[in-house]
Amino acid sequence: MLEGAPFAGVPFRFMDSISEKLSCMAVGIAGLGGLGSNVAIALARAGVGRLIIADFDKVEQSNLNRQQYFTDQVGKSKVDCTIENLRRINPQVEVVGHRVKLDSGNIPEIFAEADVIAECFDTVGAKQIIVETVLSKMTQPIVSVSGLAGYGKSNEILTRRVSGRLVLVGDGRSGIDTCEILTAARVGIAAMHQANAVLEILIDELTTKTQSKEEEI
Amino acid sequence: MNVLRINGKETSFDENKMPGTIADLLSILGVDSATVVAELDGRIIERANFAATTLHDGQNIELVRFVPGG
Repeated sequence: MLEGAPFAGVPFRFMDSISEKLSCMAVGIAGLGGLGSNVAIALARAGVGRLIIADFDKVEQSNLNRQQYFTDQVGKSKVDCTIENLRRINPQVEVVGHRVKLDSGNIPEIFAEADVIAECFDTVGAKQIIVETVLSKMTQPIVSVSGLAGYGKSNEILTRRVSGRLVLVGDGRSGIDTCEILTAARVGIAAMHQANAVLEILIDELTTKTQSKEEEI
Repeated sequence: MNVLRINGKETSFDENKMPGTIADLLSILGVDSATVVAELDGRIIERANFAATTLHDGQNIELVRFVPGG
């Protein structure tokens, strides 16, 4: 029972035209830490067809307080571990992994086929580079995060549209430099805001565009 | 008096105190340019061009400032 397709035989209400559309779409996930490892799982569960994931790092013991990895994965590549975990959740998702350090030179090529890009880095410099690169050299929307450290203050984490192709999640001020700790709870809230914003763009904006293209034909 | 709309909020500057460039504005605001993405009237301005991009009365500028953590 339920071999292969995870939803086979399950009266799954989401298996409708929305999931059919999502199954044809691709999302780029830049960084697989507290944000990326959670965003990848949410999007795989939602049935996004292809995830293009990139990270150069390995899982460390200190990551386990907030990132979606397991004790037996410490020391392994985050890309490999994410692929392994996603396969256990939804084997129908195609996952393309890049074990590289992203920079302004390789970002356009690696995420060329993504419909939306999720910025899931931890350092300010890397966040700045990918948002600037996507907005100046590419055409896709990007969902970025700034301000998720600490605990509590759940309702201060917001999703806002800064401009046409830039959506920003976070409280805009709680960095690890000022808040000391990162918690699975608050990082998780930001990650789910981010995944939810990606889904909203895919479903409300991009599928409408695809539909109108089809109508033109 | 010159006005810039910064992150949706109108900010007035005396004629002689209007920041000449994006780099000047960030310096007045005390913000490190390495932490910022800037859009001027809806157009992305790359960080390398902050010092060369002049500001004019009535322009709309969005400054997205990043803090670490992820």
